[in-house]
Amino acid sequence: MGMIITAAATALPDRSAPASVVDLAGRAARGALARAQVPASSIGTLINVGVYREHNTFEPAMAALVQKEVGINLDYIADPEPAAGFSFDLMNGACGVLNAVQVGQALLDTGSTERLLITAADVHPGGDARDDVDYPYADLAGALLLERSADPDAGFGPVRHYTADRPTDVEGYLDTATMGRQGRTAITVRRESDHAERLAEFAARAAADYAREFDIDLDRTLVIGPATTADGVGAQGEPHTAAPVLGYLTATDGVRHDDHDHDHDQFLFVSVGAGPSAACALYRPEGR
Amino acid sequence: MSTATAHSRIEALGLCLPATVQTTPQLAALVPGLGDVDIEKITGITERRVYDPEPDAGEDSFGMALAAARDALRSSRYEAADLDIVISASITRFKDGSRFTFEPSFAAMLAGELGARSAIHFDVSNACAGMMTGVWLLDRMIRSGAVRRGLVVSGEQATRVAQTAAREMTDSYDPQFASLSVGDSAAAVVLDVSVDAADRIHYIELMTCSEYSHLCMGMPSDRTPGISLYTDNKKMHNRDRLKLWPRFHEDFLAKRGRTFAAEEFDHIIQHQVGTRFIDYANQTAEAEFGTPMPDSLSVVERYGNTATTSHFLTLCEHLRAGDARPGATYLLVPAASGVVTGALSATLTNVGV
Repeated sequence: MGMIITAAATALPDRSAPASVVDLAGRAARGALARAQVPASSIGTLINVGVYREHNTFEPAMAALVQKEVGINLDYIADPEPAAGFSFDLMNGACGVLNAVQVGQALLDTGSTERLLITAADVHPGGDARDDVDYPYADLAGALLLERSADPDAGFGPVRHYTADRPTDVEGYLDTATMGRQGRTAITVRRESDHAERLAEFAARAAADYAREFDIDLDRTLVIGPATTADGVGAQGEPHTAAPVLGYLTATDGVRHDDHDHDHDQFLFVSVGAGPSAACALYRPEGR
Repeated sequence: MSTATAHSRIEALGLCLPATVQTTPQLAALVPGLGDVDIEKITGITERRVYDPEPDAGEDSFGMALAAARDALRSSRYEAADLDIVISASITRFKDGSRFTFEPSFAAMLAGELGARSAIHFDVSNACAGMMTGVWLLDRMIRSGAVRRGLVVSGEQATRVAQTAAREMTDSYDPQFASLSVGDSAAAVVLDVSVDAADRIHYIELMTCSEYSHLCMGMPSDRTPGISLYTDNKKMHNRDRLKLWPRFHEDFLAKRGRTFAAEEFDHIIQHQVGTRFIDYANQTAEAEFGTPMPDSLSVVERYGNTATTSHFLTLCEHLRAGDARPGATYLLVPAASGVVTGALSATLTNVGV
């Protein structure tokens, strides 16, 4: 059984109000559902993998608030059909989407859900990433709708994780000892000065190890890597957890429009970030 | 659909409880705005454990989670290096003293400290249903054959919200009142493949009724330096919310041609919110299912509401007391912000504690 991406979408803040994970993830999710022409009520499980959120909210799961925003199976007593919905946050820095893909394979394999929605939304807790020069990420959301394919050769292959044997280059935290009354708007993202080079090297090594383990022909494979900017969609800053969604949309658009890419019939997702942790997964679209 | 592995089981449990006990009168003395409101009478909580603020004590969320994980592995047949996956479920993610951590994941750092170098790792966050969500995911990953064994762990410095509430509350109707019911702890559970019905998770099913996701929100305070929890207790725990689990569970059983009474649970573990909540939840369920509830296990009187760790703390204490019947069947019912509820059914015989 293959698990395929039925639809994908991104969302940016309109800046008429502070950026919100609930709003952005909700819009990206609705965009994906609209493209796939499936109702919200058909989503069995929603996983939100975003790390940074409005007001540094830690309860409930942001996924529950997104579920409400999207209107997925809101109240089981009032509306038990077609089924109950379930949502939760899964956080693993930049590797969150691929972690969610991996658990999604287990959820589809065991019949725990028919459709899985992954949202990857990060916003600066203060509502506008542009106001904090030390915060590197864009206010941005991505959504992936996943389900089974009748084509056994299509979809995601195994997800593999890699851990570097050294301390992390990247940390994101709220220092409650110094935040005073500004805890809802403050955030620290600390990165070593040469983190980008080291993470890129780590990502390349992980991709090579994955390609070797699964005997992947890289000549026919388009690598969807950890993008450093989200400029292509008009966002300022790095896309962070939404990078795989953005990369997938860019790649599929490129394959459609670029004759030079006609030989690329599969994608290799590569994520790398805090930990240091990296993750890779091969993806083969249907009908290739 | 894969049928590689039919079931998972609870293989071992571990705990970490701070040594410091705070009685409810001691807590009440720190909340001048509450006047003579009887917290113990309302919550049924006599005392709770409170973290030692000294960094060397290792009682921040991360330190307690690490201690609970090591405690579980001491009782397990597995070593850290054997784990295929580590899932962390803390709500209060304090590390290095006062840093509320967003990345790297606690799970990545715990796996590194434990020596589970090759383990898949990620955090789940699902309010008080966090550990249950981690167990749900691990159960599915074991059943699908993706992993063979793994650890779900959580450490909670929950009383930090009580400190903020104590500073800011002015009456018992304050949305921070629920913060006075929390206690600090950590718990860990090891799951592996079940080859014997005497040790088996029969099912674990969860749902989120997000219509009510706004009724309990946690975030830093904007009045004083600290983190806060704001709960609409009246709406969060009203009779309609409490009917969600019995209706969901009854429908799940009915689809399999079964009834609640036929499950013959020996014990039920409700989320440890307070003694009155547990009684009310069981009474509502009795009316909904039309059958008596099994023996209800509770540690909330001694430990307060320990958030994500509540069910596995209660279960571990029960098993460690030594009077559990081998082959007894347990029902664990989460009740969490979101609103999340559901049911975990398990038979336990040889659990390392």
